[in-house]
This record gives sequence, C-alpha cells and structure tokens, in this order.
Amino acid sequence: MRFFSVLLIMILSACTSKKDETVELQPVCDLQYSRYQATVTGYCQEPAADLPESLDVINKRITIKPLDKIPEVFWFTKKMKYSLVKQETIAPVIFIIAGTGAGHDSAKMLSLQKSFYQQGYHVISLSSPTFANFIVNSTNTTHMPGDLAHDAENLYQVMNLVWAQVQAEEEVTATSFAITGYSLGGAHSAFIALLDEQRQVFNFEKVLLINPPVSLYNSVTILDQYFDLRNNRQSAVAMLDEIIARFSVGYSQQRSSRFDQSSIFNLFKNANLTESELKLLIGASFRMSSSDMIFALDASFNAGAITYKNHKIDKFESLRHSMLRASDITFGDYFDAAMLPRAQRIDASTTKADLIQRYSLYAIEDYLKASDKIYLVTNQDDIILQAGEVEYLQQIFAERAKIFPRGGHCGNLDRFSFVEYLQTTFPTGGY
Amino acid sequence: MATLLNKGQYLLITSLYFLLSACSSVPSLEGDVIAPKVKLPNQHQELGVMAAYPDPWEGFNRRMYYFNAKADRYVILPIVDGYKKITPDLVETGISNFFNNLGEMSTFINALFQLKLSVAGETFGRFVLNSALGLAGLVDVATPIGFKEQNEDFGQTLGFWGVAAGPYLVLPLLGPSSLRDATGVTFDALAYQHTIDAMAMSSEQELWMTFLDSIDARATLPFRYYASGSAFEYDQLKLLYKRYREIQVAR
Repeated sequence: MRFFSVLLIMILSACTSKKDETVELQPVCDLQYSRYQATVTGYCQEPAADLPESLDVINKRITIKPLDKIPEVFWFTKKMKYSLVKQETIAPVIFIIAGTGAGHDSAKMLSLQKSFYQQGYHVISLSSPTFANFIVNSTNTTHMPGDLAHDAENLYQVMNLVWAQVQAEEEVTATSFAITGYSLGGAHSAFIALLDEQRQVFNFEKVLLINPPVSLYNSVTILDQYFDLRNNRQSAVAMLDEIIARFSVGYSQQRSSRFDQSSIFNLFKNANLTESELKLLIGASFRMSSSDMIFALDASFNAGAITYKNHKIDKFESLRHSMLRASDITFGDYFDAAMLPRAQRIDASTTKADLIQRYSLYAIEDYLKASDKIYLVTNQDDIILQAGEVEYLQQIFAERAKIFPRGGHCGNLDRFSFVEYLQTTFPTGGY
Repeated sequence: MATLLNKGQYLLITSLYFLLSACSSVPSLEGDVIAPKVKLPNQHQELGVMAAYPDPWEGFNRRMYYFNAKADRYVILPIVDGYKKITPDLVETGISNFFNNLGEMSTFINALFQLKLSVAGETFGRFVLNSALGLAGLVDVATPIGFKEQNEDFGQTLGFWGVAAGPYLVLPLLGPSSLRDATGVTFDALAYQHTIDAMAMSSEQELWMTFLDSIDARATLPFRYYASGSAFEYDQLKLLYKRYREIQVAR
C-alpha cells in the first residue's frame, strides 16, 4: 500500500489516470483552489456527497475476441473485464463508460457506480476503448481509438454481448436503459445514443455526458502541452524530478510514516505546487495512460511504431525500450502518424480538418440539439475545454445543460452538489 | 572474508549469481523483423527518472514477477479470500494489530541503529502501551492517543549507513526488493524470530503463527498484480520501489 501511495502522488489522477482510491471521500481540505488543483486532488474544498462506503461489485470477464488471437505479451489481460452492481429487484440499467485510458474500475467510475446504485439502477461499468484491456480484446483491427463513431460501434457490440451475459448469468431484468460516461466516455455515450436510434436495441431513456471534450483534438492538444517533451524535454523532466523531491521532503518531515488521505492533502499543501507544476502532473499522468494505449495498439495491430514489426513478443521480454519510445510520442504525433493515415486508407480525400471535425461533438450537433433525452454536466473551468467551448455546450444543450462554476476536469464527481444534480436528473427508481 | 564462507556457501552464491544474470530479457529477433519506427530517446539526461535505475537482473526478475503474479492469483489470494470470509472483521483487525505489534520490535531496533531516538521512543511507547493495555497487541490503543506508527527496517538501516541499494531484485512471493533490502529482510526476520521465541511456543504453533502472519500481511496489502492493466507495470513498479526506498532512507 505504501509505495502505491507514492504512485498516487506521482501520477495523481486526472480523468485520465488509474486508481486513486485514497483520495476520495475526504470531507474538506484547505488547499488553495485552482482548476488544476481540483483536477489533480479533486474538488476537496466542497464537502463529499453521502455515498455508500462500498458496494458489492461483481467483477465479470467476457470473451470478445478468440483468446488465441491475442498476443502472448498480453497474457495478463485476456478476456474483457467489466463490472456489475446489481439491485435486489427489477430496476432500470445504466451503462457507464470510462474516460481516456481508464478501466471500468477507475476511482471516478467507483464514485459514479455509487451514485447510480443509490438512485436505484443496476450499474454496468465498461472500460474506455482507449484502455489496453479493451484494445487487446476488441475485434476491431482497422480503426484507431478516438475515432468516436467507430468507437461507438465497438462499444455497442460489447454492450450487446455484456448485456446478454448479465441476463444469463446474473439474472438481471431491466425496466429501461440509460447511458453515461465521463470525459471521453461522455462523448462516447452521445455517439452510442445516436447509433442506438438506428439499431434500437436499448432505446435509452436518458443519456448524460459528464465533462466531455467538445473536440477530442483540441482537448488532447491542451494536455500534450502540459508535459511538453517535444520542445522542452529537459526542463519537463527536471520539473518532474523536482516535484518528486519536494514531496519526499514533505514526507520525511511528517511525523508518521503512514500515508492516509489527510497526509496526502498535507503533502500537497506543503509542496505548494505552482500552476505549471500541477499542469505537469496532469500531463505526465495523461502521457502514462496514452503510452499504455499506444503499446496495446502497436502490438495488437503489428504496426511497428514502438515495437519490432513481425516480432512475437515473449512474455518475459524487456519492454523498456517500447516504454521509452512511447514516452516520446505526443497525442499530436499519434493523430498525424496513425489516425490520419488509417482514415486516408479508407477514403484518400480525408483531410486533417475533416478528421478533427469528425472526432468532435460538432459532428453530431443536430442530434444533440434535437434529442431531449440527452443531458450535459460539466464545469465552467474544465481544463480540457478551449475558450468558447463551454459556451458552445451551453448553447447546444440549452436547458439540458448544467454547468458548475468550479471543479476542473471531473474533480467533483463525488462532491455534494454534483451528486445532488444526478439525483434530480435521475430520480430514485429511475422513472 | 573468504574464510567465513565454506565451500558450499560459495557454490550457492556463485550459482545464484549466474541464475540471476543468465536469463535473458533481450528480444530474440526473427528474420523478417523490422526495427521500430520511433527512435529511442537519448538515455539518461533526457529521460530523467525513467532511465535512472538500471536492471542487470531483469531476465530473472521478469520471470519471478510472472511467477509471483500467477502464485498470487491461483494460490495466495484464494487462501486470503477464504480467510476473510471465515473471520469476522473485528477478529481480522485484531490479528492485524497483533502482528503489527510484534513488528514494532524490529522497527525499534532499526530506529536505534539509525540513532533516531524519537522514532525509537515513540515505537517503544506503542509497543508497551499496546502490549499492556491493548490485550497483548490485539487492540491498537496507541494510535488514537497520538503515538504514530513508524516504519524502519534493516534495509533502511543499511541505507542510512551508506550501503547502496544495489541491483533491483524481485523476490519469490515477497516481490520488489533490491540486493541490500533483501539482505535486510533476512536480518529483520531474525529479529522477529527472537520476539516469537520469547513467547515459548511449540514448533507447530510457530508454524501456524507464521502462516497466519503471512496471510494477514497479504490481506492488508491492497495491491493486485496487473490491476493497472498496463503492459509496463513491471517497469513502473520497479521505478516506484526504487524511488520510494530512497525517500524512506532519506527520511
């Protein structure tokens, strides 16, 4: 546990990060507020919502792609993982889609599971199509994750299989369906809702986008700049070392050797991080999850960018060279060198501008405007939104938009007023 | 030094050394393999912490990491889950406190070795309070009244006196360690054994006690292999371990 707490400090969560169970449920902290601080430590200045301490989560695995088609290096992640939290009786079902690089059991997912379970839903949690376990087990071999319409197709296929398994093995009966997701998962929910209008398997009664990007490209460009290895490698690396050093000093001065929530907040308080240092932590955490994604894609598709092409990676083989290579790739590179050529192979006339448009909410603007079952919740100071994008969301969703003044990117998912909003938007027992 | 080692020990150590460095982790490349398109960044100065810790025994370590992940999943965790199922939470906490209390002795000794008198004093206070008032350590009465739990071990003592960590080493079942810290583990185990000896149990009772201690240690550690879902978990954990030990030693 102890060195995991250090991991927490080093890669403390943006929506992009992995686990940080330690940081939730702390009532109030006395950190200096900023949108970056709220993104890193959570909007801990606001009291936490009254949520169940723990849930009976049923962790499930499902075969999507034949297991012998999965490269040996992914021996630890064969079968797609998801989870179910089940009500005692017949109830509505909600699907939750995780954010960029996050699994079905990320800390943000756990907060959302608790809220929706409390509202009387059976909760099914799915990993993001950018999460390695999803990529490795997906039957998709043509489209790169981030291509929202195709991601929606993949997710839809998985949702159908998962729903069949949950009915058969867990005897869940649904009165109706809803879907939500945070960050990239929010954008995915919107595209899935649109797809479902044609396929009509679930006929979602309600769709909620939580802190979605408006344009994927714009958002990741912002995050790329936070940890600028391309133009400013040495100073970025030096700053990261400096932050770790400052946390170390704080830790050595604290009286107990234990880490708990308040000592972590204290470390942050004493480290007194500047705005650019907080940004760096967010960027580094984003970079870590995008490295995992790139490796999973590269090895699954035999693309040869950071792995040896045509080489079968042994399960004991050193992967450090791939990790170091991946650390050198920004999302911008991924977009130019992987996503764009893939799209052009299908339609040679596709331009970069086309693709940027396609991977954004602009592409389905008319649907979002017209469909009154789709809701949006975000924060005025969400770091992944460019100037003007909050106003755009407000205009598109009009009275179906809820915009909190503070919270950064997904910093308030377990906070009092956010959960209260969920409760009014998703009344108890569904409908 | 050579006189201290008899022939058998010498043989054991040399063969261990070969075992550690013999297994390769370098990719063995087939004929039509094409090198990755993305160049390796210039090591060290450009990568900072990512390239800070070389791993000469990586071949051995990766195999051991794999073994540990499998053993954890198929043997250890099922036992731990069974243990959690049959023992009430209150009993679990009691057992945990009990073994923590026994561990205070080693923390105390190591704090003294490092001349950290206040840490030693606080730890000794905890031990006396919990042993006397906390039903032989089953209840932790010291923490609520401000005697904080400390963490010192012989690996840190060695580090304090300037012994370098040496190569990263993944130990069977115990996981991440280093040459220095693995030595420390052995010493702490001896200190622990002395505490147990003082309780004058039969060897069978001692065996059960050690077994229970191991289960408790695993049950209180929330780590799950590959819960990160990352193919780079081995490297990340290595980095984390090395850095965390540096911080602990500096503390």
